[in-house]
Amino acid sequence: MRMDTVIMGGGLSALTCGITLAKHGKRVTIVASGQSTLLFNGGSMELLGSIDGQEVTAPLEAVATLPDNHPYRKIGTERIASLASEAKQLLDDAGINMEGRPDANHWRITPMGVAKPAWLTLSDHMRIDDLSHLPAKRVALMAIRGYLDQPNSMLAQGLRSLGMEVKVVEFSTSDITSLRRSPSEMRATSLAKHLMSNSALQRVAEQINALANEADLVLLPSVLGQNDDNDFRTLQSMVNKPLRLVATLPPAVAGMRMQAQLRHYFRMLGGTYLMGDTAVSGTFDQDRLTAVTTAKLGDMPLKADHFVLATGSFVSRGLMADYERVYEPVLGVDVDADADRECWTRFGVLNAQAYTQYGVATDNSLRCLIEGKPITNLRAIGSVLSGHDAIKMGDGTGVSMLTALAAAHDIIGR
Amino acid sequence: MVTNDIYNKEYDVIIVGGGATGAGTARDCALRGLSVLLVERNDYSTGATGRNHGLMHSGARYAVTDGESASECISENMILRRIARHCVEETDGLFITLPEDDLQYQQTFVDACQRAGIRADIIDPAEARRIEPAVNPSLIGAVRVPDASIDPFRLTVANLLDARMHGAETLNHHEVEGLIINQNRVEGVKLLSKRDGRHVEVRGRVVVNACGIWGQRIAQMAGAKISMFPARGALLIFGHRVNNMVINRCRKPANADILVPDDTVCVIGTTSDHIPIETVDDMRVTREEVDVLLKEGVKIAPSLATTRIIRAYAGVRPLVASDDDPSGRSISRGIVCLDHAKRDDIEGFITITGGKMMTYRLMGEIATNAVCAKLGNTAPCVTAAQPLPGSEEGGPSQSDLTKRYSFGERAAIGRHGSLAARIEKDNDIDNALVCECEGVTVGEIKYAVHQLHVHNLVNLRRRTRVGMGTCQGKLCSCRAASLLGEINHDVKGAQEDLAAFLDERWKGMRPVAWGDTLREAQLTAHIYEGLCGLDKVVDLQGKEDAQ
Amino acid sequence: MAEPMQLCNISENNFEQCTKCSICTTVCPVAAVTTDYPGPKQAGPDGERYRLKDPAYYDKMLKLCLNCKRCEVACPSNVHIADIIQRARMQASVGKHASLRDTMLASTDLLGTMATLVAPVTNATLGLKPVKLVMDSVMAIDKHRTFPAYSGTKFETWYKRHAASSQGAYPHHVSYFHGCYVNYNFPRLGQDLVKVMNAVGYGVHLLAKEQCCGVALIANGLYKQARRQGRVNAASIRQAVNAEHRTVLTTSSSCTFNLRDEYPSILDIDTSDVRDGIMLATRFLYNLVDEGSIKLIFKQDYKRRIAYHTACHMQRMGWQLYSIEMLRMIPGLDLQVLEQECCGISGTYGFKKENYERSQAIGSVLFKHIADAQVEAVATDCETCKWQIEMSTGLPVENPISILADALDVEATRKANGL
Repeated sequence: MRMDTVIMGGGLSALTCGITLAKHGKRVTIVASGQSTLLFNGGSMELLGSIDGQEVTAPLEAVATLPDNHPYRKIGTERIASLASEAKQLLDDAGINMEGRPDANHWRITPMGVAKPAWLTLSDHMRIDDLSHLPAKRVALMAIRGYLDQPNSMLAQGLRSLGMEVKVVEFSTSDITSLRRSPSEMRATSLAKHLMSNSALQRVAEQINALANEADLVLLPSVLGQNDDNDFRTLQSMVNKPLRLVATLPPAVAGMRMQAQLRHYFRMLGGTYLMGDTAVSGTFDQDRLTAVTTAKLGDMPLKADHFVLATGSFVSRGLMADYERVYEPVLGVDVDADADRECWTRFGVLNAQAYTQYGVATDNSLRCLIEGKPITNLRAIGSVLSGHDAIKMGDGTGVSMLTALAAAHDIIGR
Repeated sequence: MVTNDIYNKEYDVIIVGGGATGAGTARDCALRGLSVLLVERNDYSTGATGRNHGLMHSGARYAVTDGESASECISENMILRRIARHCVEETDGLFITLPEDDLQYQQTFVDACQRAGIRADIIDPAEARRIEPAVNPSLIGAVRVPDASIDPFRLTVANLLDARMHGAETLNHHEVEGLIINQNRVEGVKLLSKRDGRHVEVRGRVVVNACGIWGQRIAQMAGAKISMFPARGALLIFGHRVNNMVINRCRKPANADILVPDDTVCVIGTTSDHIPIETVDDMRVTREEVDVLLKEGVKIAPSLATTRIIRAYAGVRPLVASDDDPSGRSISRGIVCLDHAKRDDIEGFITITGGKMMTYRLMGEIATNAVCAKLGNTAPCVTAAQPLPGSEEGGPSQSDLTKRYSFGERAAIGRHGSLAARIEKDNDIDNALVCECEGVTVGEIKYAVHQLHVHNLVNLRRRTRVGMGTCQGKLCSCRAASLLGEINHDVKGAQEDLAAFLDERWKGMRPVAWGDTLREAQLTAHIYEGLCGLDKVVDLQGKEDAQ
Repeated sequence: MAEPMQLCNISENNFEQCTKCSICTTVCPVAAVTTDYPGPKQAGPDGERYRLKDPAYYDKMLKLCLNCKRCEVACPSNVHIADIIQRARMQASVGKHASLRDTMLASTDLLGTMATLVAPVTNATLGLKPVKLVMDSVMAIDKHRTFPAYSGTKFETWYKRHAASSQGAYPHHVSYFHGCYVNYNFPRLGQDLVKVMNAVGYGVHLLAKEQCCGVALIANGLYKQARRQGRVNAASIRQAVNAEHRTVLTTSSSCTFNLRDEYPSILDIDTSDVRDGIMLATRFLYNLVDEGSIKLIFKQDYKRRIAYHTACHMQRMGWQLYSIEMLRMIPGLDLQVLEQECCGISGTYGFKKENYERSQAIGSVLFKHIADAQVEAVATDCETCKWQIEMSTGLPVENPISILADALDVEATRKANGL
């Protein structure tokens, strides 16, 4: 089976790259080894949140101070602004409504009530543009009775420490109470399925209208809208106060929604998305990759002119570590990682851990290397790349989208 | 908050140390009608009690080298099967001979077992492979013995519960800062409450030092010198049970020669290294220990080479130098009970140490006998006959549960035995699972907080297995921290507790952080730091190794 | 270190690869509609650790699993979640008997053989209201269900009478595992396959001995019977692939998945040596077109708007690509590919009275997508999806091979392939 481009991996970077290529008329197949880590995303994109433990307020400026091996530096500091605006446009086109700007971070509100720097946040989710001008003084935090994945007291305390008056209002509806009959499955994503109908939303609205009288702003755990933000809009239209959602523990509805919308958009553009298949090996011809074999297509490998490695970090199995080494499992391309296991990690769970910056080695065009030599038609994008740190630097989603766009442009030939 | 009533009472006996031995002593003393206070500086079963194999020895392991210990073990083994049913899994054990071992030793071993009263049946290697498919198939000999698996956390709590039901008071997170000494008599303890920072003095007619390796320091406070030789042992926990019988090597005890199925996991251990007493609080496992355990462990069960490891941990055996030879060349592995009145001319002070988790009840009996002798109490010991709470007949059973999905209830019965009846399960919210790996419900957490002295997540883990599954607390630690914070009305404390708990989990994961365990760690970091920003509200600096 | 140590993590059905990320819970169609089912994570890897300790931890709510495999498709860690659940059910069923109803539903070929003999009577009887009510109350087969009609002539009979003699003349050869549905209910699909394959120069042959693949037996807990039939099929397939060097084609995604993957994972029948020789006809044809070995010529005036529904087991195999790409080759076909959702029938599951409402609730998302697509028909590779979608949407549902056969200009194609 022959394609223009085959993308290994199915998350944010793969879809961003696939959409961009498909928009330019390319035949693209994405091989997605299960659902992606987008399902752990609480509804925000981060360009750059922190450098050496210091919060970044102006990410575009701060990019210049990153080390040379950071993916942003590889794709070129001067390109970041235009790629960021292109990324925002792509999200808009996919129907994902987000707000924010690349030159100044805003603050997203985490499930524990922490304000963390962010670039874009879903417009139905809580965000604060300026910590000295809060969006509301009196907040009603709607706490769903029996729901365990929203640490309400922590969230309330966090909001109070930002200067808001917070009232935690416990509530339930018949739909919610019946879902709680399940000892295990009252998750954000299940709530979203149970709160899809107008009548279910009406029952939530009645509770909010009855219980959140004195508030300027009503907050609800992010349990609405796994396909789009229509359920939120419907509920907002039924509630007489401004309403916002706050991220929960995963799997996150917001991430599920973004994944679904991106995948739908990619399909609409004619892309092929192979869910639940895994690239297992490649066939090389000198400095080119000619075909990729997948677990399910078996003896009919996917041939293409270009290949993109977007398989993610350890958690997505784009990188593997065993007793002896760190490696890239599909194609065996070079990785930037310490050889000695003792260096991968250190005691102290909140300390910076070296492994989080490991990834595949690339040249400045994001081309993968084997024994130091570039594979000319194989690019790596997103979390599989070395030199960045989604956890400590808050650059994961930004790197995913921007490297994906950069690689797509290279493939299309700017 | 501890009420002043507890501090202001004068007790017949104050027991220092909340491991199995202290708990067993407290139970025995309480059952004989004494008024009892037990104090523990950390949590119950934090020390050697919670840091071993979870093996209920038949005694076979000691038969050749230490017949006395072996006899003690088999007799206690039979007692525990009766009184601690809900803590014990009757797995039986194998002693296997590998091609590299001397098969001659097998007969020596069997003879020694027989002398100690331990049933030891030589079985055909093929039969061994049939009854325990995980065993190294190249074995050339096998002996079946009545080893079993035991949960030391459960065992300790059951003893404490029984002590409390018989009037004892027990305090965890209370450290002994000094002893109240009047001339040559110990009259009580000076305590620091780590819960609220208070310093208090509590009086008791006899003080029992049951602190394991830390007993050397308590003895020093009384002016007595005990020479202890800390022997450190490291162990690895695998993600699931590869074996359903205990497997030992049939040779002289050496590194990593026992594999025990414990609850949902299996544990290989141990190493054995003498370490300086100053380092007994550093229980981080080294790379060298991991390497040794793996290298030897795969000889017992080859599948360990391809089974996920979820944690590494270490403990310290409290070995005591013989009084005749303080150099340590003749170290006793047996039970040591010192009446310091006779030995050091210090009245009102007894040390119980040495021994094994396995013989905790006997140690409790010996210590209580010594206490009773001092107090003139003549009540007989009944701990060998009376079942522990949870192990009584009756109570809910697994077969009653057929109506709805009931993993949480089943798991709770497995953990708490007949006491599972006390766990609320009449409404959907109490039935909700907090820890999905181990089936811990909201109701069970409430029960643990209100009845089993839970003050933090690590306490909770020891009482319920929260966070002990393969994910090591991915979602459940936040859910449980949030519940504890609401029960205790302390949100900030709950966040710090959550971070400390994750740190404690990471301490065990880090030495084996490769493969799926590293993936797991990255996902957990992604959730708690990336998604939640826990690192922004908690500073773990300086308490990196809280436990 | 000499021996390989900790280089991989091996556990049955990869249950220990689970990082408890809970992604599987977001796609389970059963947990979405009932709180009685604990979801794939609890039923699968979570429960498995306890069941390994003590089989008493088996929970009978696991029987609600559809075995649709959507959890496995979503799992980023390659855990065979549904296989874990199926094996747990199998182990728990040892020594227990399946009900008459389940045995009847599962015995597709026994029932089929009897029914075909008296097809007009059977069809009339199964359709009658009083009969349906008896089935509903006595047999617990839901009264809303209509059994697929039985054909008067079995496919095998038709083949012997009308096709067998001419197949040897073709230059290439394949075998065909037709399955019960084609044999008893819908011989036309088998005839369509013969028509398409013959047009591109392939003779189609039956297996030496074919029995029901056993997918329904497995679902209803009749493992022994399934294993017995599985061994017969495995032997026949082995003969075709290894001795006669013929690929064994199929037209049912569920049979295919069962033969390739469930035989080893559930029934412990090792088919690894012939696994690559069993494939859906669309995959086989696509590959021939892709490598340029055959040409397909379609009718000029063919014009239809059809939605493609990816059956759950099709998605688990990852082969929907071939059916979709084959259909896309038809110039006059306006193909709408639907988002993958479960239709809710899952073989015999939806026939059971206790599952009927759940089954329809599960399918409702798909039915809405189909209605939104505004098509004249639906294409899918699974026969039970076909029953469910036809009953629930009123639209005709066709196998891609039938659509190909319909759109194909047979004479032109024969000519183009040198026949």
